Amino acid sequence: MNATVRVEDISKTFHLSRKQQKIEQTNISTKKAVDHLSFEAYQGEIYGLLGPNGAGKTTTLRCISTLMRPDEGNIFINENSVLKNENEVRKTIAFLTSDLKLENFFTPNYLFIYFAKLHGMNDVYTKQRKDLLFSKFGIDKFAEVKIGDLSSGMRQKVQIAISLVHDPEVIIFDEPTNGLDVLTAKVVTDYLIDLKKQGKTIIVSTHIFSLVEKICDRVGIIINGKLVKSGTLDSIIDKDIDLETVFFNLFMLESGESV
Amino acid sequence: MRNILTIFKKEWDRVIRDKRLVFSIMLLPGLMIFLVYSFIGNAIENSQSDAQYQVAIVNPTDSFQTIYELIPTSATLTVVSIQVNETDSYQQMIDDGDWQLVIVLDEAIETYTGGVDKPSVEVYFNQNKADSSGAFSLFSNALLQYETLLSYDIYGDTSSFSTVYEGTPLNESEITGSLLASLLPMLVVMFLFTGSMAVGPESIAGEKERGTIATLLITPTKRSEIALGKILSLSVLSLLSAISSFIGIVLSLPKLLMAQSMDIGIYGFTDYLMLLSLMFSTVLVIVGLISIISAYAKTLKEATTLIMPLYIITIMIGLSSILGNGANSNYFLYLVPIFNTVQTMTAILTFNQNTVIYLVLTISSNLVLLFILTFILNRMFNSEKIMFSK
Repeated sequence: MNATVRVEDISKTFHLSRKQQKIEQTNISTKKAVDHLSFEAYQGEIYGLLGPNGAGKTTTLRCISTLMRPDEGNIFINENSVLKNENEVRKTIAFLTSDLKLENFFTPNYLFIYFAKLHGMNDVYTKQRKDLLFSKFGIDKFAEVKIGDLSSGMRQKVQIAISLVHDPEVIIFDEPTNGLDVLTAKVVTDYLIDLKKQGKTIIVSTHIFSLVEKICDRVGIIINGKLVKSGTLDSIIDKDIDLETVFFNLFMLESGESV
Repeated sequence: MRNILTIFKKEWDRVIRDKRLVFSIMLLPGLMIFLVYSFIGNAIENSQSDAQYQVAIVNPTDSFQTIYELIPTSATLTVVSIQVNETDSYQQMIDDGDWQLVIVLDEAIETYTGGVDKPSVEVYFNQNKADSSGAFSLFSNALLQYETLLSYDIYGDTSSFSTVYEGTPLNESEITGSLLASLLPMLVVMFLFTGSMAVGPESIAGEKERGTIATLLITPTKRSEIALGKILSLSVLSLLSAISSFIGIVLSLPKLLMAQSMDIGIYGFTDYLMLLSLMFSTVLVIVGLISIISAYAKTLKEATTLIMPLYIITIMIGLSSILGNGANSNYFLYLVPIFNTVQTMTAILTFNQNTVIYLVLTISSNLVLLFILTFILNRMFNSEKIMFSK
């Protein structure tokens, strides 16, 4: 089976400003955020990137989403290179982050149509997608309410609906349940499972073990920009050792730090 | 092109559909300018018409009275005759600010026939008080005329030559144009800038701060379309804001300059069209600059802070309309942004013969600059370092 997303040996180095060097407590002016990282994600699966803060998860997801370009290596989405065919890639992917804050002034309806137009969708298809997603997330009753007047949970649902406006094949979700209340978090995770069943390829980044165990088919553990372990959950955990223990053992081994 | 329109419409709706924003950006500037300038103009006018000159004269004469009563003034004049021994108490009142002027005329002022002892005139006023100084100025003028009159009585014709004053006939349009040209260009540039500042940073720095820029950049829309869509919509919105301010200025200027007869109808349709095209080309440059700063800034607050020095520079350039004497004739200077706007506007308002050349140079230069600024903004949207730096 061909991989929908193929990450091939990518590396990404950032220049650190003096302020950042001070925060990172280093004299070195560069930081390798992603270090020769490779993995694949297939249609109808959820791949989880598990790692601590600053491990390189977000940078990897941004590279897959064409928001950043890897310094080395390449990424292919349905055989389209993010370096050469970024516009083709953009037609098939969605990038979601829990940090996203939509403009308070607009209504869900307005923003949905706005992004649908930018994705080149016609009116009929836009309405179909809107009806489907708004009904799925219970937004239909709030379609004409300004974002600023919605609850934080409803805002998050609107953000997801808007990011999925064009029915993307590949969904990249950075920290999907960060800052969500338990009810909204459940809606989001249930929907990700639903999307998986529809045959979507989903890559999520998280540092929450329970989320990985609940929704991911395969997982990649990323520490200091390197993918130190990748495979199905069953292949990573043993009968007596749970995912959390596996992760901390790997973390201590790779970083040399104790927990 | 479709994407440019989509982005244009969204930025447009962000402002136009928000009644509070429409009021604060489109209506309030013009209204405030009109009210404030009219208030200042009225205050100046009232302070002058409310002035009261109380003058005490020792040994007043009929001929002196005839002279000072003929001098035009908006102040209310009260002249009393006093005795010489009262001067001390009146001088005290002047020191205290309760009286304006004392004039002591020599009792022999009109009987002098040219002897050694010339008649004396003593004037006492308080130079710390505006009304006292005003009274002094008025009566100094009257005293000079009185002196000439008395000399004439003694010596006959005291002038050595006859002077005939002639000159270019009064041109109301030119005077009005010069008055407007000294103030309007600076004010218009200022309001173009403040209008752009009100809508610009939120559109780009706001999107960065909220994280929605990623959602926008991940669409198949070209970066150049995003840049152009934002610049064009923000420019139209800023222009509307500037036009509101412009109307406010034009309506209140006659009051402010105390030139009630100032007729702004001296400008025709072509002049207004030239002004509008000039303002639009300028606002494109200003919005372009503000957009680049906003794209560079990590937050809305940082963008506003970074824009301030540019605003101050713009005002300083705007001052050239007050300090200069008409439009500059050096064509190369019309390639300098903002300065070219100020100079071309001066040329339009003063009916300069080279206005069209200046306008073409300025608009061309601004459009080239817009192209460069859009290119830079496009590159910035492509720069992950700028878009996603923390």
